Amino acid sequence: MTSVDRYTCEEVFRRLNDFLDRELTPAETTLVEEHLKTCAQCASEHAFEQTVLEEIKEKLRRISAPPSLLSKVRTILDAENGAS
Amino acid sequence: MSVLGVLCAAAAKGWGWGTPLLGFAAVGTVAATRPKEPEPVPIDTLLTPILDRAYGFALRLSRNRADAEDLVQEAALLAVRGYHTFQPGTNFKAWFFRILTNCYYSRYRRNRHESSLVDIDSTPELFLYVRTAELGMHAQPGDNPAHDLIDRLDSEQVAAALETLPEEYRVVSTLYFIDDLAYEDIAQALQIPVGTVRSRLHRGRKILQRSLWRIALERGIVQEGRGPA
Repeated sequence: MTSVDRYTCEEVFRRLNDFLDRELTPAETTLVEEHLKTCAQCASEHAFEQTVLEEIKEKLRRISAPPSLLSKVRTILDAENGAS
Repeated sequence: MSVLGVLCAAAAKGWGWGTPLLGFAAVGTVAATRPKEPEPVPIDTLLTPILDRAYGFALRLSRNRADAEDLVQEAALLAVRGYHTFQPGTNFKAWFFRILTNCYYSRYRRNRHESSLVDIDSTPELFLYVRTAELGMHAQPGDNPAHDLIDRLDSEQVAAALETLPEEYRVVSTLYFIDDLAYEDIAQALQIPVGTVRSRLHRGRKILQRSLWRIALERGIVQEGRGPA
C-alpha cells in the first residue's frame, strides 16, 4: 500500500517529466522533491534529465532572425501602420 | 506561394484545422468577468521581441532558412491584419505562434501523417541515461555525463536530432524547447488538449534522445564500448 505522504521511486519516475516542466501541483511537487532528497538513484536520473533538457534548450535558442527578415517584418508593420 | 496566395487560400478554405485564421478567438485565459479591458499596445512592441524565437521555430519546422523566413513573414502579415482579434492581456506569443503554425501546416499539410511510420514506443525511457551509464560515464561522483555528451554536440547537430521527430511531435517539442511555452500555452497555440501536448512532448523527448545518441555515435563523439571519444 502506498503512503499518501511519500512517493515511491516508481511514482516519482511517472511524474519526472511533469516535474521537470513544473507542471505538477504544489503538493505533488513537494512529494517529488522530498523523494529526491532521500533517493540517490532518482536524484541522479532527475539531474541527468534536467541537464539534457537545459542544454538542448540552450543550444536550440542560439538562432537569431536574419537581418533580411527583420527588415521585411519592419516593412509590413510600417505599411500597416501607415494604412490604418 | 506568395503572401497573397496564402491569404487567398486561407480565406477560401478556412485555416489550419478548419478554423478561419483571422477569426479565431484570442489565445489565452479569458476571465469570466473583466471589470476593465487592458489597454491595447501596438503590435510592434509585442511582435518584434519574439522574432528570433519565431524564426528559430519556423526553421526547425521547415528545415530550410528561406522557407522559415517566408513563414515568419506571412505570419507577421496575418498577425498585423488580424491583430484586432487579439485580446489584450492574453498571451501574444501563443497567439502568434498559432498563426505561424497554421502557416506551416497550410504549406506542408500533406506531410502531416508521417508519424504512423515510426515505432515511437520502441525507445526505452531514460535512453541517454542508460547509454551513458553503460559506457561508464557515471563512474565518479563528480561526473556530469549529460553535460559531457550534449556539450560536445553543436547547435546544428541538436537541431538535426529535433528534425528527426515525426511532425506532430516536432511541432510540440519545438514550441517547448525553443519558445519555452507551458503545456497549456502549447495546447492553446495548437488547439489540441493539454493531455495530447503532454504525451507528444514526452514521447518526443524519447525519440530526441535516441536521435542525439545516434548523431553522437555517427560523429564519433561517443564510441560504443569506449565512452567519450
